[in-house]
Parts: sequence; structure tokens; C-alpha cells
Amino acid sequence: MNNIWGDMAQYDPVTWNWIIAIYLFMAGLSAGSILIGIGLRWYRSEDDRKSTKESAILKAAAIISPIAISLGLACLVFDLTKPFHFWLILINYNFESVMALGVLALLAYSPLGIAYALIVLRDELPRWKLGFLLPVAQVLMPFRKAIEVLLFILAIGVGAYTGFLISAMNAYPMLNTAVLPALFLVSGLSAGAAANLVVALLMFNVDSHDKELSKMHRLELPVMAIEMMFLFMLFCALYFKGGAAALALASLTTGVWASVFWIGVVGIGFGIPLLSMLMPASSRHTKTAMIMVACSGLTGVLALRHFIIYAGQSYIY
Amino acid sequence: MSKRLIMIHDENKCIGCQACNIACRSENGTPDEVTRLQVRVEGPFGDAPNLHFKYNRVSCQQCEDAPCVKVCPTGAAYVGEDGLVSIKAEKCVGCMYCVAACPYKVRFMNPETKVADKCNFCKETRLAKGELPACVTACPTDALIFGDANDPSSEVVKILNTKPSYQDKTHLGTKPRLYRIPTKRGGSSHEQYLGRYGAI
Repeated sequence: MNNIWGDMAQYDPVTWNWIIAIYLFMAGLSAGSILIGIGLRWYRSEDDRKSTKESAILKAAAIISPIAISLGLACLVFDLTKPFHFWLILINYNFESVMALGVLALLAYSPLGIAYALIVLRDELPRWKLGFLLPVAQVLMPFRKAIEVLLFILAIGVGAYTGFLISAMNAYPMLNTAVLPALFLVSGLSAGAAANLVVALLMFNVDSHDKELSKMHRLELPVMAIEMMFLFMLFCALYFKGGAAALALASLTTGVWASVFWIGVVGIGFGIPLLSMLMPASSRHTKTAMIMVACSGLTGVLALRHFIIYAGQSYIY
Repeated sequence: MSKRLIMIHDENKCIGCQACNIACRSENGTPDEVTRLQVRVEGPFGDAPNLHFKYNRVSCQQCEDAPCVKVCPTGAAYVGEDGLVSIKAEKCVGCMYCVAACPYKVRFMNPETKVADKCNFCKETRLAKGELPACVTACPTDALIFGDANDPSSEVVKILNTKPSYQDKTHLGTKPRLYRIPTKRGGSSHEQYLGRYGAI
């Protein structure tokens, strides 16, 4: 405290920190994974429709989606200054607030995700000593289609919501842009695809040439292209707005967040998966290579959330 | 007709003595590590010998279109019947959305109550008794003027009608109720100030 007017610590513009970045990542991962799982189920071939077995990708999504959102929400609750009063947010709603709308969406999304997981994983439950949950899964079975559709719609909401949450703040030029929800939804999809692949390969021992797996794999390139386009749009919006908004572009060239962006988001997140496509098919489709590429994709999305949270809050209008 | 309570900070009269800062702290029992009100002495600006300082009051601007109220998920941040932006402590969970959303960065988490805190023009302690906010009373140079802008005979209206004034970050559409009268010293015209502080 060297100023006569007092301590400046409370004026740090970075209010939300890495815990929130992890929450944003987890919410995107959860939504993206279940969107891909359900999406692929709706677009499966006639042959697959005859089988009563669940695909490994859907089973992976059914595990990832509720676990990721629960971990994310745990981060969120323990970041509150009054974590044991979190229930206040469940009974008081300001419908002008994006966060209140998000709470409502999550309130429906989280239990539906668990219900859907019980349905999809019904055959695995006894193996995991969770056989006592089978009757619940049986009760839910007739409502599968309704739960699936509702969950899909809510997942789009949850995936985009985190973007709306931080774009609602007009104090920060980098956050207060319309592309942020779309960018978060799309990068959530790429994280979801990568996580589905890892879990399907490791837990359900799916063959690396599996039909569903390669279908999901074909989504990767277009999703990544859209993600890059949204990022480009974000920076263009800042550049052409000028003034304080354009100053935020300095986050791309200076400071630790510039390294996080170029190394984490661009190098690891986009570079490694794109370069891996140049590898000969034989080595590219090995389990190890696929898992490594998926992990670099996940790292890239995690880095993107950190970059947006920190760089976004560092520049203020 | 409803009141529109505003505050004017005359940066011409202000000497950056922090009497307001201390009075605020004592009136509101603000914990040591945080503050509701600072007057930052910025500068010097201009060329010698015409140097001058800027006295920048940093406190809640009592926005008429307050971003903190819009984002608060529980309605803990609200605009009362008196038009003032206040906080219902019993509804606040400490999500810090309002702290992040405030373009003036004047909200903070009170380390004792764990609730979002800020200036409320001494609404409960002094306005309720018909007194002026503590900072206004304590100011030795009468640099702070407080009153109802909807009352044509009030001092604040007379000042706003006769002196140049500006508000901070009006381009964000928040309509702050803290008005500032820029310094004329040091050979700078007030238009230069508008460029420097008002309309960036």
C-alpha cells in the first residue's frame, strides 16, 4: 500500500480465474460429448439400427457428460465466496441474468444426463457393481426418446451458455462479442469428440477402425475449421472496432497469455491434430496415435478457455 | 415525482486529501484491505510550468442502467425505490459476476461478510436520517455536491446547468449518476479532458 488513496489489490480486473476457466471447459466438454454421442446415434446406418447394443461412442459420452458437468459445477460452487449458500442461487432468479438462465438449464441438464447415462449403460451397470441401479434404468427406458431429445436441446444450451455468460459483460471488449457463444459451442464439440474417443478406446476397447469412431473422426476437420474461423472473427471484430477493443489484440503478442494462445491453442490444439493427418494411415490409426492426438485437442480447448478468461478480463473498455 | 439522487465531484476544487476516503471507511466500517471510495491523484499532466493533476474519484457510479444489476443471478444486486443500486446481503452467494461486470471496477468482495460491497451513497446510515453521505460532509473544499437532480431548485441542478461536466464511460450506456467537473488548471481546456477521460 504505497498510494495515499489505499490498496489497489481489489482493482485487479481479473475477477474470474482458472477455476472458472476449468468450469467453462468442463461444461463445454460435457455438452459437446453428449451432443456428438446422441447426434451419431440419430445418424447411424440401417444395419446398426437393428442392433440393440449401444455404440462405444455413446457409452463414452454417457459417462463423460454427467461426470464433466458435475466436476465443473463443483469448481463453480467452491469458487463462490459463500459456497455453502449455493442453494440461494437455486431459489432466487433474476431472469435478466444469463447466469440465472444457465442455472435453470443446468438444473434440468444434469439429472437428465445422469438418467440418460443409466439408460445407455444399463448393460455395464452389473459389471461395475452398480446393478442395484438397473431397476431405475428399466423405469426410464420407455422415456428414452423424450430424454434424448430434451438432453440434446439442453446440451446445445449448456454448450453455448458459458459463452453468453461471459459475453454479457460489456466492460470487457474481448468477451463482449457475439461470436463467443458459437466459439465455445464449437470448441466444446471438438473437446467432446476427443474425450469420447479416449474413453471409447480405453474403457470399451473399441477397435481403432470402428465405423462410429471413423464417423466421429470425419467431423474433426470441419469442426476445427469452424473453430478457427470463429477465432479469426473474434479478433477481426476487435480490430475493426478500434480504440480500447483493438488494444485487446495485444494479448496475441505480449505476455504469458500470448504464449498460451500460440503454443496451447494454435500449436497443440490445432497444429498437432492437423499435422497428424499427414501421417501414413497405418500409423495414424494406431490406438496410441489416436489418443495422443485427442489429448492434444483437449489441451488446446482447455488452453483456449484460459486464454479467453484471462486475456479477456485483462483488457477493459 | 421520484428523486434522482446524484453526486457531483468538482475536480477543480478537489485536492486529493482523502478525507472522503477516510470518512467513508469510518462510516461504513469497511475492512482495511478494501475500499468503497478512493480519490486517485493522477498526473502530472501538461508541460512545466503549467503542470496539473487529475483527481479521479473511484467509487460506485450509481448507474441508471447498471450492468451489475443485470447480471446478478439472484437479484441480490438491485435498484431500490430510491433509484440507488444496492445489495441484499442475504441473497448474495458470492459468484462475483457483478464484480467482473462492473465497467468501473468499483465492486469488491467484502472479506468479512463474503458479500459483494460498494458505495451506496450511505443510504442506510445517513440518507435514512436525512443527512448527506459521509464523504460529502467530510470534504474540506466542498468538492462534493449531493442532491436530487429532479428538483429544479437543488444545488446539483444549478451546478450542472452552469458548469461543464462529464461522466465516466458514457459510451457503455450505463448512465452513471456521478458527474465530474474537470480541472481548468495547467492550460488544458475541458474539451481535452473529455477526450482524455470522458469519451475514450
